[in-house]
Amino acid sequence: MTSTPSSSIPRGQVDLVEFVDWSGVECLNQTTSHPIVNALKQGSRDDDGLHLESDADEQLLIYVPFLQVIKLHSVVIVGPEEEGPKTVKLFANKEHMGFSNVNDYPPSDSIDLSLDNLKGMPVTVKYVKFQNIRSLTIFIEDNQGGSDVTKVQKIAFLGTTVDTTNMKDLKKIEEH
Amino acid sequence: MRNGDYAPSRFQAQADAINLICGAKTQSNPENTVGVLTMAGNGVRVLVTPTSDLGKILSCIHGLVVGGEANLTAAIQVAQLALKHRQNKRQQQRIIVFAGSPIKYDNKTLEAIGRKLKKNSVALDVVNFGESDDGKPEKLEALITAVNNNDSSHIVHVPAGQNALSDVLISTPIVTGDGDEGSGFVVAAAVAAAGGGGLSGFDFGVDPNVDPELALALRISMEEERVRQEAAAKRAAEQAAEQEKVRELASGSHDDTMAEPVSNSTLMVDDKGHNLTSQDDEAALLEQALAMSMDVAKSGTAPVVDTDMSDATVDDQELAYALQMSVQDSARDMSSQSEMSKVLEDQSFVSSILNSLPGVDPNDPSLKDLLASLQGESEPQQKQKEDKPEEDHDD
Repeated sequence: MTSTPSSSIPRGQVDLVEFVDWSGVECLNQTTSHPIVNALKQGSRDDDGLHLESDADEQLLIYVPFLQVIKLHSVVIVGPEEEGPKTVKLFANKEHMGFSNVNDYPPSDSIDLSLDNLKGMPVTVKYVKFQNIRSLTIFIEDNQGGSDVTKVQKIAFLGTTVDTTNMKDLKKIEEH
Repeated sequence: MRNGDYAPSRFQAQADAINLICGAKTQSNPENTVGVLTMAGNGVRVLVTPTSDLGKILSCIHGLVVGGEANLTAAIQVAQLALKHRQNKRQQQRIIVFAGSPIKYDNKTLEAIGRKLKKNSVALDVVNFGESDDGKPEKLEALITAVNNNDSSHIVHVPAGQNALSDVLISTPIVTGDGDEGSGFVVAAAVAAAGGGGLSGFDFGVDPNVDPELALALRISMEEERVRQEAAAKRAAEQAAEQEKVRELASGSHDDTMAEPVSNSTLMVDDKGHNLTSQDDEAALLEQALAMSMDVAKSGTAPVVDTDMSDATVDDQELAYALQMSVQDSARDMSSQSEMSKVLEDQSFVSSILNSLPGVDPNDPSLKDLLASLQGESEPQQKQKEDKPEEDHDD
């Protein structure tokens, strides 16, 4: 286990990074030199040199589709003290949102990140609202220090999968 | 917009440019969609929502009248909204603005709009024409700087004058896209525009508007032929490199040609079989020119030859080697034919000579064939000469 406090995964949950559909991951308002993969991908997210950075202002809108249906238990967001995210809104199963319509729907959950969270402590979400997730939209509204640039080191999702048909396992029935 | 500074009138020139861009975009990628909106008149009005149907786009531009005042910020916002509701969410969003009227907004407002576009990853192209008062160019430049992300946004300033608006735009990245796409239609349009003066010379004798498939097939076969020629020339250069290496001349410049994959050479064996009957004229011209240059070398003033040849853009070692061999040969009193073939085999030396000859295009495929075949001829002679130097060393 790593040395950061309480970063152990709660019992029964798995890190859902392997179920992320990378071809559909989108992030609005990121800088091209610091894109979303730095924060999400296995390896890059633990690299201190790589982080996700916002561009025109401090807000970020991240869309993460999954390869299969999952239940989301908690979320880990790691970032620096000053520029790390503060208010984070999660939207379940809403595709292709833009900054203009984030305020049109109530979020499935709204998180206020503390400094402990920014060090790696997972934030438990309203589990009942995240039972049947195909995609997740993360709206980072502002950051801890109120600066114009938000930096995110790592984003991880903890939860379980729902047993769905894995299309790769489907085999054609042999003709008799 | 009724001004005649862009023929026939600003409005008409703008309409032509719009036709050009819509055509280029729809043809460059079948999944592209284009929509049009007007900024002035009674207010911002979307004439056609993004569609890939070029006919619909062009027809809605008919019957527009000049009037009212252009509202740039409102227009950009409406355009953004129209793009947001596009059917295929995977499409990239881009707004192209024709700014012919004065802009009443200040830099700050425009920069705020630009930032909002950047935040929503919408690219922006601006065509600035008309009058340049009130700091209009600077305002538009500020707008583009605010939107620009990785050079995906462009601005073009078109001054009034001879050239039509569309002609100026053809060569800009606004029509040609960011490099990769849109080339086919643009080439044809450019040729058509150039041919408007009465030449009517299309790229391959086929108007892409009339018969796009044929034009496309011709273009592809030309490119394939060109690739084949280049591979043949590469193979010839490779062989020249191999021969040099056999003579144990240490020249680092040949390393790149040697590094090429061996499979290359097996591909193009057939090309040597090109018939040269049609190229006798060029062959005669080439031999004449080379004979003339060889006369200079034969006069024996080697240092003079050195300085003359140093003008050519040839690698020094290859050059020195060629000169050395030619001096050596003249000392041995060999025939001029073999001298010439030695010089000829040095591919880069030959191409440098060709470059300096007026009226000779070194990229001409027939010339390349000629060189390649001369290469083949000089090979057996080279083998002979290899024996001779080795004999000398033994002595």
